[in-house]
Amino acid sequence: MLTLLGILLGTAAYVAISGLMLGFQTFIIDQLVNNDAHVRITAREELLTEKSLNESFFGGEALVKWWKPPSGRKDNPYILAPGTWLDRLTAEPKVTAASPQMVVQAIVKHGKATSAVRVIGSEPERQLRVSNIEQYMLRGKFSDIGTSGNRIAAGKELLDKIGAAFGETLLISAGKSGLVPFRIVGVFRLGVKSIDETTIFSSLSDAQKLNETPSRITDIAVRLNDVTEAGSVAATWNLMATEKVQSWDQANEGIMSVFQMQDIVRNSMTVSILIVAAFGIYNILSLAISHKKREIAILRSMGFLPHDIERLFLIQGIILGTIGGLVGSLLGFAACLYLSTVEVSGQRGLGGNHMLISFDSLIYLKGFGLAFLSACLASYLPARAAGKLEPIDIIRSENE
Amino acid sequence: MSIVMKDLKKSFGTPPTHILKGINCEIKSGEMVSITGRSGSGKSTLLYLISTLDKLSDGELLIDDRTVPSMSVEELHRFRNEKMGFVFQFHHLLPELTALENVLMPAVKTGKSKLLRERALQLLREFGLEDKAGRMPGKLSGGEQQRIAIARSLIMEPSYLFADEPTGNLDSANGLAVLNFFEKINRERGTTLIYVTHDPIFASMAKRKIVLVDGMMSEDLKLR
Repeated sequence: MLTLLGILLGTAAYVAISGLMLGFQTFIIDQLVNNDAHVRITAREELLTEKSLNESFFGGEALVKWWKPPSGRKDNPYILAPGTWLDRLTAEPKVTAASPQMVVQAIVKHGKATSAVRVIGSEPERQLRVSNIEQYMLRGKFSDIGTSGNRIAAGKELLDKIGAAFGETLLISAGKSGLVPFRIVGVFRLGVKSIDETTIFSSLSDAQKLNETPSRITDIAVRLNDVTEAGSVAATWNLMATEKVQSWDQANEGIMSVFQMQDIVRNSMTVSILIVAAFGIYNILSLAISHKKREIAILRSMGFLPHDIERLFLIQGIILGTIGGLVGSLLGFAACLYLSTVEVSGQRGLGGNHMLISFDSLIYLKGFGLAFLSACLASYLPARAAGKLEPIDIIRSENE
Repeated sequence: MSIVMKDLKKSFGTPPTHILKGINCEIKSGEMVSITGRSGSGKSTLLYLISTLDKLSDGELLIDDRTVPSMSVEELHRFRNEKMGFVFQFHHLLPELTALENVLMPAVKTGKSKLLRERALQLLREFGLEDKAGRMPGKLSGGEQQRIAIARSLIMEPSYLFADEPTGNLDSANGLAVLNFFEKINRERGTTLIYVTHDPIFASMAKRKIVLVDGMMSEDLKLR
């Protein structure tokens, strides 16, 4: 009974923890993927080096000695031929939508409060086809930022930080121009503090004006038909482009490695639980065999072969594994159902304001498979030992 | 159809302790033989050798003209299943199964349990246990359990029935009942019956009595 409980709880823990972690991962990935881009094309930042300056000023052949080697980077990186890129992306069958963007580092001011922000200028219609930002809007619609008119959608955390509210006007400076007034027509919260505290969306032309770089863009956000192809598509485009092309997972390498770590911890923990359960099965069956020696002797004397006895004990282990795996999966499912009703303040998007739990059938298959496999492996050795018992040895030891 | 023992020897350990020191004997089909002797005389060892449960150290053993040591494991198990029945001092019933299921256990091995169900019920009737068919062994008396063990040994209609101290764990009334059953089985079915007992009265109820002393046959008496 205790062994069965061990397998059952091991499987249930695996299912519940996997549901929780994978749900969390899905939520975060949704935010990373669907609120930014599957693939992002950005202007390549070029650093100033002795070689690049020699070529620009003196031609490649000249021999120049620098007293102090040049350093720094070229100002205002931007995509050189956005039209060509957009034409190529429109013709590409793997692409669902593309949104040109002007990303500007700026300072926002409200009263005496200031904060560093990232203003993302885009065409709302195109941007909405690339990202799911509309799902995360707390006030107003994303499309309210329009195509011009100095209207913005700002992160809730940013507004709280500088004490501003929906409908008020903020002053934004990109450093070159003075303070430009922008009216808050939308408030969003993605649930990722680093974005909610520093991001403002405006129209593309407003951002270009703010940065004093009309008609230029710094990024193109691309949505693909199949998000899993992002890595390979980005790698292919990178080969033929002067711009930097990154898929969403390359751009968020740090977060993805945290997920990998989570998976390792989750799997190790489950394997540990199941190893303990497997030892339980091994001990219980070994004990059962020493208690059932008489029965083994009588079965062997009736003509049951060693492998018949092996099969008998193996079946016991398999039954334990099957029942433990099935009931454990059901228990894990019930735990997941309960967890999915737990409210999480401030969370929006996938799962609404509840915890997002994954009910992926693969979790249940894996959980059951692990329980079943560990039970089979743990039963094998005692079953083999039972099969090797000779009836006469048992009878002799009984009579002694 | 017979069991032929030629200079049968059995020893254990190193240096070897000789338990049986050369038994020469033939048990013919339909005989009812008791093997008796003092404790340590080798009577149980002889029974386990001729019932193929144990391996001989030396000599020759033929059952139905077949040399036992030359039989493969599968042949030996099939032979045991189809031709031999066993009754032990401790009845060794499977506690998780009912009386009827216990009786049918040897038939499970050959997949004939459904086919032989009626025969099992008939055997239980013969042993006065028809109302105990659905009972678990724990709910039966020692005598009833031993009778179920005998019924189990007969389900495959074996040619040979081996019993090691079948009355050793029973009171004299139940012991006598078991011997009467053996006598009936031998008489009505023609089953060759070989049993080990240290009780001189029970030993004398057989048609033939073999007495062992220190691993040697000291007497081979025809009683009836």
